[in-house]
Amino acid sequence: MSTIESTLAPVAPPKARAKPGLSPIDRDERRLGFALLAPAFLLLFGVVVYPIVDLVVTSFQLNNLAQPWMGTPFVGLENYGRAMSDDRFWEATFHTGLYVLVTVPGAVVVGLGLALLANQPFRVKWPVRLGLLLPWALPLVFAGLIFRWFFEYTQGLVNNALLMVGLPAQAWLTDPTLAFIAICIAIVWKTSSFVALVLLAGLQTIPRSLYEAAEIDGAGKLAQFWEITLPMLRPAIVVALIFRTITAIQTFDIPFAMTNGGPGNSTETLAMYIHKTTIDFLDLGYGSALAVLMFIVSAILTAGYLRYTRRDPSARGH
Amino acid sequence: MKARLIAASVASLVLVGTSSLALAQQTTLRIFTGGQQRPDVMRQIVDEYMKANPNVKVEVEVGGATSEQQQQYLNTVLASRDSSLDVVLIDVIRPAQWAAAKWAEPLDSYLGADKEKVMSQYLPAYREANTVNGSVISLPYFADAQFLYYRKDLLAKHNVQPPKTWDEVKTAAQAVMKGEGNANLRGFETAGAPIEGTVCTYTVPLWGAGGTVTDTNGKLALSADLAKKPFELWGSMKQAGILPPNIAEIPTDRIRQNFQAGNLVFGMTWGYVWNRTQQDTDSLVKDKVGVVPLPGFTADKAATCIGGWQLAVTAFSKNKAEAVKLVRYLSSPEVSKRQAILASHLPVFPDVYKDPEVLKANPWFAEALPVVQTARSRPVTPRYNEVSEVVRTNMNAFLAGTKTEESALTEMRNRLGTILR
Repeated sequence: MSTIESTLAPVAPPKARAKPGLSPIDRDERRLGFALLAPAFLLLFGVVVYPIVDLVVTSFQLNNLAQPWMGTPFVGLENYGRAMSDDRFWEATFHTGLYVLVTVPGAVVVGLGLALLANQPFRVKWPVRLGLLLPWALPLVFAGLIFRWFFEYTQGLVNNALLMVGLPAQAWLTDPTLAFIAICIAIVWKTSSFVALVLLAGLQTIPRSLYEAAEIDGAGKLAQFWEITLPMLRPAIVVALIFRTITAIQTFDIPFAMTNGGPGNSTETLAMYIHKTTIDFLDLGYGSALAVLMFIVSAILTAGYLRYTRRDPSARGH
Repeated sequence: MKARLIAASVASLVLVGTSSLALAQQTTLRIFTGGQQRPDVMRQIVDEYMKANPNVKVEVEVGGATSEQQQQYLNTVLASRDSSLDVVLIDVIRPAQWAAAKWAEPLDSYLGADKEKVMSQYLPAYREANTVNGSVISLPYFADAQFLYYRKDLLAKHNVQPPKTWDEVKTAAQAVMKGEGNANLRGFETAGAPIEGTVCTYTVPLWGAGGTVTDTNGKLALSADLAKKPFELWGSMKQAGILPPNIAEIPTDRIRQNFQAGNLVFGMTWGYVWNRTQQDTDSLVKDKVGVVPLPGFTADKAATCIGGWQLAVTAFSKNKAEAVKLVRYLSSPEVSKRQAILASHLPVFPDVYKDPEVLKANPWFAEALPVVQTARSRPVTPRYNEVSEVVRTNMNAFLAGTKTEESALTEMRNRLGTILR
């Protein structure tokens, strides 16, 4: 987004309104400006606007590829009505909410710890940085598969460790509570490194002079953390929270690879239910309606965060 | 200068044109198969086909390990009318859905006058499974059914006969497990993960008890007392410690792995496992495996799920005529025999079961023919994916212990009721 805005600024200054008195050179410039913008606009239209419009249109249709003889008639809000009375939709939404509630703060706390660690003046910085980047660079589904093996009943490392200290092996992936815990651990491990990278960037913008001044005033390390680091880091934390919350609402890969929603559908998220409805059951109409509902939830939450940042007088820090 | 340029570009155009003509004579066919359906054996077989037909190049694309993973991928390819796949190996449960979605090229016109003759060679179950509303949707590649695999050596050691009823399975498994005293040795495994194979974990005991999921009109026909038999059976076996505590995370191929590693007394699984236990270099149970028909609640009333994989030509293929030729070759008695020897894939032709070379590689095939002939189909419906999901999810939840028999059954009836209206 920011790249578009910055290209827009030089070619279309605010006062360049469609005035009749525009000089030929200005008009040429304007035309060039639009021509340069067109590819980006068309691309965005093609990959963002068109799919979203198509999604919304489909959500008002009966559109089931398993029953092509039914056609694709317009059914109004029927798909949305069906979602409201679909227990499985509410269960999946509830599970998604739980993942958000656990893994977003989890990733921020762990990520903050990692960022503080990486920000220490170690002489050799690369091991910590690499440790930060690796989980982030790993595809989600790989992380899911790796953790599935960790938590596997007979061959898994976790049960092996439990047995070694004399505890009984646990059916991690087939008990709903344990499966939820295992999945949350995997998600926090996978996503906290992204949070840490964002926070590390934030940490490095905090001027050293503040800490020096605090030290002279006699503030301890803990006081410095609460009074300087955290408040100064607030904008970075909000950015990390927004990204993490959006990805948490869309949680799919890790539970898909670890439990496929099982046992039963006790770890199924909204994104998994949408996938199942559209890709497995080929019910595009209902799946689209579910996707629109998920989109609305993400939009509301993000808007909430954005309001919070706008109210935040972060200029205070600068 | 300009004239020369034009001449040069015309010449190059002609060149490009002729070379693409030469290429056009070589047809490339792409066939999709699953990781569990022995792509290595298919590769060998199509290599022979390519040798005999130098104008055809066959690429083998290998998909996911389980039936529903493969179909998820195929759904996206075919829903977007992609022409990249010419031939697809599909599970025996899929032809109805493929016919309804118009993904398969009907083969009737290609078979022409041969249709009756070709179709009558196959086992009746496969003739029916591949014909939807009188139209041939696909041709069978290999047959399959579930059997009871058992450890010949352990049963002999503890003086136990191969069981014919579920009660005998329980006593036999307990006797062997107690006698061996090996903590890694499991009594019995069937598919329990939320995957396609778990549908059979439900239907086999249901059918054995005399029940059925759908009636002849495809409507829900689960009767209350029979519908809970499978839950009671597996519940009691889990309680007794014969099913492992993690049965709900066991997919089909894990049964083979555990059996092959020597950690399983009984496995309820498919034909391909035999060859792997006998030929794989890491198999610890070579020459220690017996295969018999599945048990029933009574010895005379056993049931098994019909499996097997079919070859469909996609409706979006650009080389349909060549693709049909390849399919007819892959669905021939010679290839059936090759597969039986190389992969213990059950033949779709009754005569191949009696072939001496086939019997030498698979002694138990002598008993397998009647099992395949009486094996039953999972519900046939274009909305099978949803039916399967309801059954496997509830069976999985029950095996995991997160749902009681009653709640699993209630949800199954409610949701199947709306799908199979």
